Parts: sequence; C-alpha cells; structure tokens
Amino acid sequence: MKKKLVSTIFFYLLVTGIALVVLFPFVWMLASSFKTQVDIISWPPKFIFSPTLQNYQKVFGEQDFLKYFFNSTIIGAVSVGLSLVLGLPAAYSISRYAQKKLAVFILLARLMPGISFLMPWYIVFSRLNLMDSYVALILSHMLISLPIVVWIMSTYFSTIPREMEESAMVDGATRQYAFFTIILPLSGPGIITATTLSFIFSWNNFMFSQVLSMEKTKTLPIAVYNFVSYAEVDWGGVMAAAVAIMAPAIVLTMIFQKYVVKGLTMGAVKG
Amino acid sequence: MRKILVFMLGALTSLCVSMGAMAQVKEIRVLLANHPYGDLLKSAIPEFENATGIRVNVESLQESQLTTKLTTEFATNSSSVDVFMTRPLQEGKMFYKNGWYEPLMTYDFSDYPKNVMSVSTFGQKSYIVPLVTEWQVLYYRKDVFKEAGIKVPTNFTELEAAAKKLNSDSLAGIASRGKGAAAVTQASSYIYNFGGLYLDKGVAVFNSKPAIDALRFYGKLLGNYGPKGVTSMSWENIMPLFQAGKVAMWTDASVFYGQIIDPAKTQVSAENVGIANFPAGPKMNSPFIVTSWGIAVAKQSKNKDLAMRFLEWATSKELAAKGMLANITMARSSVWEDPAILAKVNPGLVETRAYAAKFGNPLDRPYMSAVGEARDLIGELIIESINTRGASANLEKMAKEKVAKVNEILEDTGEYGK
Repeated sequence: MKKKLVSTIFFYLLVTGIALVVLFPFVWMLASSFKTQVDIISWPPKFIFSPTLQNYQKVFGEQDFLKYFFNSTIIGAVSVGLSLVLGLPAAYSISRYAQKKLAVFILLARLMPGISFLMPWYIVFSRLNLMDSYVALILSHMLISLPIVVWIMSTYFSTIPREMEESAMVDGATRQYAFFTIILPLSGPGIITATTLSFIFSWNNFMFSQVLSMEKTKTLPIAVYNFVSYAEVDWGGVMAAAVAIMAPAIVLTMIFQKYVVKGLTMGAVKG
Repeated sequence: MRKILVFMLGALTSLCVSMGAMAQVKEIRVLLANHPYGDLLKSAIPEFENATGIRVNVESLQESQLTTKLTTEFATNSSSVDVFMTRPLQEGKMFYKNGWYEPLMTYDFSDYPKNVMSVSTFGQKSYIVPLVTEWQVLYYRKDVFKEAGIKVPTNFTELEAAAKKLNSDSLAGIASRGKGAAAVTQASSYIYNFGGLYLDKGVAVFNSKPAIDALRFYGKLLGNYGPKGVTSMSWENIMPLFQAGKVAMWTDASVFYGQIIDPAKTQVSAENVGIANFPAGPKMNSPFIVTSWGIAVAKQSKNKDLAMRFLEWATSKELAAKGMLANITMARSSVWEDPAILAKVNPGLVETRAYAAKFGNPLDRPYMSAVGEARDLIGELIIESINTRGASANLEKMAKEKVAKVNEILEDTGEYGK
C-alpha cells in the first residue's frame, strides 16, 4: 500500500514537472499579452501586474487581424477540403493495389524543401495574374496537405479488412460504390486526423504565404510581423497576436486529440 | 471533353484581356518596410493620390521579408513592384550588380551629405535616394555616473575604466552587441578608432594589427564588464536590459534613443538617460554614420514616370521635415540646419549627428554583395574574442583564415581589389 502511494506521488511529480516545462512558454506568452511594454521587459519578471487589453486592442483594432483570420481560414479549409477530395480516392487506390512507388512519389513532394517550389510558382502565378489570389495560396497549401492526407489515409485504409468491400462487390456493388458507402463511413477517425493535422500545418505555414500573398490575402503567420518594425519590436502586440493565432489551433487539437492519436498509430502494428 | 477545354481556354483568354484593360488606370505598386518612415509615408499616401490621381498599392513588410520578396520577384523577372524601400549597405551592392535598381538620372541629390551618397552611387550614376541615417553613440546612465562620481568617457581608456568601476552583480558596466554577425556593425567604430578597417579597396584587411587590437579590446570590455550571455545578444536583447536599468553604458546606433527615453517603454526615467559621442580610440574618432534605409525605383517597373513622381514626393523636403518631428533621423542635410525643426528635435541627437556627419565613416560592415556571409565569418572572431576576454591566442590565426575566406568570396563575385 505504501509502495503504491510513493509511486503515485512520484507519478504526479513527474507529470507536474513535464507540464511546467511544456506550459511555461505558453503561460509566459499569455501573461505577456496582457502586460504593458514596461512590464514585459521588467527584471525581475513581474508575476503580479495590472492587466491591460491594450495589446489585443492593437491586434483587432489597429491591425485588421479579423481579415487575416478570414484569409487563413479560407485557405486552410479549402486546401484541406480539396486535398481530401483528391487524396482519399488516391489513398484508397494505393492501399488496395499496393502502389508503393506512387506513394513514395507523393511523399517526395513533401520531402523536398518548400522553398525550391517558390520561384517556379512565382513565375507561373504572376504570368497567370494569380498573385495575391486565394487560388494561388490554396494550390500551394495543397502541397502541404495532400501528402499528409494520402499517407495517413492509405495506412488507415489498409487496416480495414478487404472482405468488407469484397462482400459488397459480390452482391453486385461497384468498387466506387463500395468505397463511398462502406469504406468512407468506417474511416471517420482517420479522416479527422488527416484533416486536423493538415489544417494546422496550413494554418502555421509561413514560407508560401510570404512570397505568394500580398496585402489582400495576407495570412496570420505573416501578419504577426506587423508588430516587428525596424529597430523596434512591440512584444505585447506580438504576444497577443500569437495567442490569438494559437487559440483556434489549440481548441481544434483538444477536440480531436483522441482521434489524432488513434489515427496516427492506426496500422502501426501492421507490417 | 474537347469542347470543355476550348471553352475554358476561351474564358481564360477573355479574363486576361479584361485584366489588361483594367491596367489602364494609373496605378503603381510600392513596397515599404516596417519602419517609422514607412508608416509616415503610408499615412500620407492618400494626399499623393488625391493630388496626382495615381493609385498607389502599398504593402509594408518586415525588413527580411521585404528582401526575400524583392529578391524572388526580381530574380524571376516578373515583378510588378515600381518603388521600394531598400537597405543600401545590406543589399545595395547585390541589387545593383543584378541590375534591379533604375538609375536616377533626373533626381537632385545636392541636399545629401557626400559620405552618405557614397553608398548610393555606383560608377557615375546614383540609384538610391537615402532616407534615414543613423550613427554610433554612447548611451549612459546619468544617475549611475553621478553616484560613482565619474565623467562620461571620451576615449577608450576612460571607457574601460568607467566600465570596470560601474560593473557590479546587478549592473553590467557596458553592453554592446555580442551576437556574431549582428555585432559586426557595432564593432566597426571600435575598429575604425583603432585605425583598422574591414575592407580596404575591395580587399579584406581585418587581420591587421589595429583591427586585431580593436577586436581584443571589444572582447575584453564585453567579456569582463558585459551582461551575462552577451555573445547571444543583439539589440533586441540589450535594449530591454538597458530599459530595465541593468546596464550602465551601451554603445549602439542612434536609432534606439527614442525608445530608451519613452516612458511607455522604459523603467529608467528619461532624465537619467544620457547620449554622448562615441569615445575616441588610440588613432582617431570616426564612428559610423550609415544610410540605414533608402528608396529606389525598380528597373523592371513598367510605370517609371509614375514611379519617379512618387519617389520625388516620398523623398521631398516637406516629408523629411515631418519625419524629423516624428524623431526619425532623416538623411537630408537641410532639415538638420533648419532652426524651426531643430528646436523640436532632441539636442543629444543634434550634437552627436553633427560630429558623425563631419568625421564619421559611411560604412558599418564589409561593403560587398555577399555581406551576410562575410558578417558570419567576422562574427566568429568577435565571439571568440569575447569568450576569451580579449586574450585569445588563436585570434590572429582565426582572423587570417577568415580574411582568406572573405577574399575568396570577393574574388568569386568579381569584387576583389575594386
């Protein structure tokens, strides 16, 4: 009994220790977003201070962060949506017909440094008059989300026994019909995982938006830099903007967390 | 299937044609930096639009984003930028060599100091209109000096003595940038005052005796009396320390003065913050005075006439005067001679600028197209020197290697000996 108590105490100590390390930067950021510039830089650090909403006022009042939120959401949602439309059938095909080479080829797109795509894209999009358009950004962000969808989903589909759709096909269903009515409804957790992960990657993407977007389609990670001026950093503004940007990602992850973990390990024991 | 394709092609063509028709409106695209003067221009642009009927599409970006964007656009030869803010010392030489600046043949440059113009001019032609200058100064804590009963240092011997005397557990005697590449600009004035240079006529010479002595002195000062962890500090880290009252003296660019006396940003009251000329070295006193920002017309611009009109307006004397009143240290000479303006500018800035404009060096870094690489190499020397408190036995050897590498880069880019 005593032994159990000790190990329980030890367990919680460990958890608290890890939580402290992990949460500290986040708490620091959150606290700083409510501080004035003087309080942020003060040393020793102030843990008790009179909070101000001034930084958030800057983020949503002086700067048009609602517009950037809108841009990031549209670009993330549409690119993930299109990636699902293209990626789910592709993943199914890869899983059922063991198209390994194809899978590796798709992965290659993800492995190549994103920056190598930028110049060609810039040329193509500017000739097509698509600079600063949602089309260009959505297409570019699909480079991030499509491989994620294909890879997560092809392993996921492999965990669903072939007999499921085979029995439907024996009864006269086409493969397409079987895919839509039998396989997809069984793949909820996998789809949620792929969607969440690729949406977050798109949400956080800096490089593509930096070159392909201008004022109209500016996304959130770029907009944070509005608070970084020459020889001057508005730390309060940066922190408030960072909190505002992280909030949706954190909420999304918390809601879908159990699916994400499940989806990622699904098929892990399958050779 | 073919019908659909033909239809789509047709639709696309008509779209392009209609976009072409829309481009008839007089409009230009301007890229500005996140900089107080960029903000000032941005808020004044509607006046320009009303007066000229030219529509200005303006974007402002953080400086490294601005460089990335300009480089991508210009390198792919498909840029739609007409006018842009630019950093002459950091990217000027590279942009010029790539032919990205339009020569400004009709612009009147007579109101700019000669040493300032030297970095905007290549051959016989000038390409950049200087906007803002900054120079190296010594910031110090008046109250701390008074308490210790010492005078503000005017030379390096006094500087070291003061740093030693004021240094304590709770207060760093002196701070200056120690983070490798970022420190290169701030160490430059130390090197000049010892009689050294980074480059001399296109050849790297920072392994000369005076340059090594300067690097040792810089390392000794910061290693002994600098804040903890100074080798990972740039201005972003040192300014908050100064504002929190943890530093007695700080040598850096004049651009930070406004922020360290702004009560909304600092814990040290403004009356306790002093600004003085950079101290003299054994050889001379020639602190840097550099054009940190300029503005230029893009070679690839298709609206050069409109772009020139915008440039003339954006660099006008009226706007420069407005900049001065907003505490921006403008490059034009005339605004520093107008008593009505000077009455509203901080006297510390006026005095230190007067000295630097007369005796200063217009460069604060190795002036070459591969500035970044050279800065990284020299930065290693600075860190070595600070870590060993200026006593490194390897410094000469390291400097020789770095000089050879920088010369190699200069040869690769065809700038060696020029």
